[in-house]
Amino acid sequence: MKKRDAPTNSPRLSIHTSEEKFALALVTPAFLITVLIVLIPLLYAFYLSFNRAEVIVVGGQGGLVTEFSGLRNYLYFLSSADFWYSVRTTLYFTVASLAVELVLGIIVALLLNEEFRGRGLVRTLLILPWAVPTVVNARMWGLIFEPHAYGALNGLLQTLHLLGPERTINYLAPIPLFQNAPLLGELTSWLGVTRGLTWIIVADTWKTLPVVALLLLAGLQSIPLDLYSAAKVDGANAWQRFWLITLPLLRPIILIVLVYRTMELFRVFDIIYILMAYTIPVLGVVTFQQSFVFGNFGKGAAIAFLIGLLVLLLANGYIRLIDLEERE
Amino acid sequence: MTHNRQIRNYRKILSRIGLYSLVLLLLAWTLGPFAWLFITSISTPAKLNQIPIQWLPQAPTFEHYRAMFDPSNPTGELFLAALRNSITVAGSTTLLCLLFGVLAAYALASFRFPAKQGLTLMMLATRLLPTIALVIPFYVIIVNYIDPIFPLFDTKRNLIALYTSFIIGLVVWIMRGYFATIPKELEEAALMDGCTRLQALFYVILPLSLPGLVTTALLAFLLAWDEFLLAMIFSRTANAFTLPYFVFVVGSSQYYQSPAAVAAGGVLAALPPVILAFVFQRQLVRGLTAGAISG
Repeated sequence: MKKRDAPTNSPRLSIHTSEEKFALALVTPAFLITVLIVLIPLLYAFYLSFNRAEVIVVGGQGGLVTEFSGLRNYLYFLSSADFWYSVRTTLYFTVASLAVELVLGIIVALLLNEEFRGRGLVRTLLILPWAVPTVVNARMWGLIFEPHAYGALNGLLQTLHLLGPERTINYLAPIPLFQNAPLLGELTSWLGVTRGLTWIIVADTWKTLPVVALLLLAGLQSIPLDLYSAAKVDGANAWQRFWLITLPLLRPIILIVLVYRTMELFRVFDIIYILMAYTIPVLGVVTFQQSFVFGNFGKGAAIAFLIGLLVLLLANGYIRLIDLEERE
Repeated sequence: MTHNRQIRNYRKILSRIGLYSLVLLLLAWTLGPFAWLFITSISTPAKLNQIPIQWLPQAPTFEHYRAMFDPSNPTGELFLAALRNSITVAGSTTLLCLLFGVLAAYALASFRFPAKQGLTLMMLATRLLPTIALVIPFYVIIVNYIDPIFPLFDTKRNLIALYTSFIIGLVVWIMRGYFATIPKELEEAALMDGCTRLQALFYVILPLSLPGLVTTALLAFLLAWDEFLLAMIFSRTANAFTLPYFVFVVGSSQYYQSPAAVAAGGVLAALPPVILAFVFQRQLVRGLTAGAISG
């Protein structure tokens, strides 16, 4: 009992009291699971990334051959144009998704923060997309994006007369947006901004918007209401109140959403692999392809660590950006 | 004056109309796609190929759902196996995560001991790793080193172990936050009354943490139910593959039958998490917020 009340920084020799032993015993199983199944494999992957680790099949007998190769796996990617194209495509997917999710998320959160009839029900229903498994989401949007006239989106656009009766769109075509516009077309092909990936962003946003909106809603609800009434007294209109109160006070939660979503978006695999197989080479798909299609586990491990590095850089960037704004 | 009030009234009505239109738009966006999945699943091939598009089936058919639960039908056989596997894998993962996660979280929340900070961070860090970074070493280690001694490839226990290691960090993180909100006095009183530490945990702390436990269990279950990449790589046969893998396979070339069959499988795979999410909506939102904000 007394142990717990002792000041945190008291110099303490490592005398294992019974309480400490008990606590360690409680942590041990979870700790062992994490070490055995996560930490050791991770270290092994790091080792593999410095090796030419390939599966060689001889007479139906497969085996892994590893041979130390230094930084060769990393250099292979860093000097490959395809890799940088993958980085750009993945960045486009990440940044565009984030922008859409944040803007829509704030709008939905503001909407759900208003009072209207049936608000409870709408909030409950909103969670549906989040609960739909990723694979089902991919298959569902595959049906919606069906390139024929009986596909749901083509049908909807035709019903609304936004699309002529004879016209249909192949939404998931991997062709650059504005392909035929002089400069823009070159930019989009360089960036890997394809029509297919853009519509996949729509599909992915459907599933993730609820969580983003609900997190932002929780943030909105923690803003004291008297701030708004004080601003109203001072003559601030709704727009000013949003920019001067809501947005600055939402900043911590926006940062959380940015970091957490970037991590998930940058390593996207499931939805793109299911809908497009290898046609859109985002980094997650390339990692999978290198390892499980080509059998180059060393290269796959290297690219996985490059993804981790890029995510860290991005997260670091946000934190600095938001810190900087805070100081101004 | 009356003129001004009238203008104010009009503006109020207009803003209400705007608000309700936005709400309707949000509902259409949220429910529309899933509704289409369901409509596809009860449609005949003729209806699905009709041009212009036919929104509601004139003669809905539930034959695809019936086929899924018919063990003599090849698709049904696969589906039933996947359903059983999903329940076993997600259920066991949840139980293991809760058992070990809760013990660790309790220790991290209410004791001081060496390396506590480091352990907490390590548990959290497992959540931040991309699955793909671990799939490669898992695969190499399991296929080359473990499988010859102890068969793991294409087994449920393999998936359970892998999922548990991924999800336990989240469980520890959320429960640790939850335990910290429970007043220490309650625990101390129990100890005074002669309870042991473990008894205090099981009879005093855990009953009080029930809402947190429910939330955490749900999140763990839903994460395990949703997982696709590991399931795809580490399962081959009905022995281990789960529903996400089934929905993937049934929609790709080799097993492909019809969009309606894929849709029916999709609806069935989505049903358990959707129902759970609706029933426990409040707890889930709270848990997600807690997990993200403290994470």
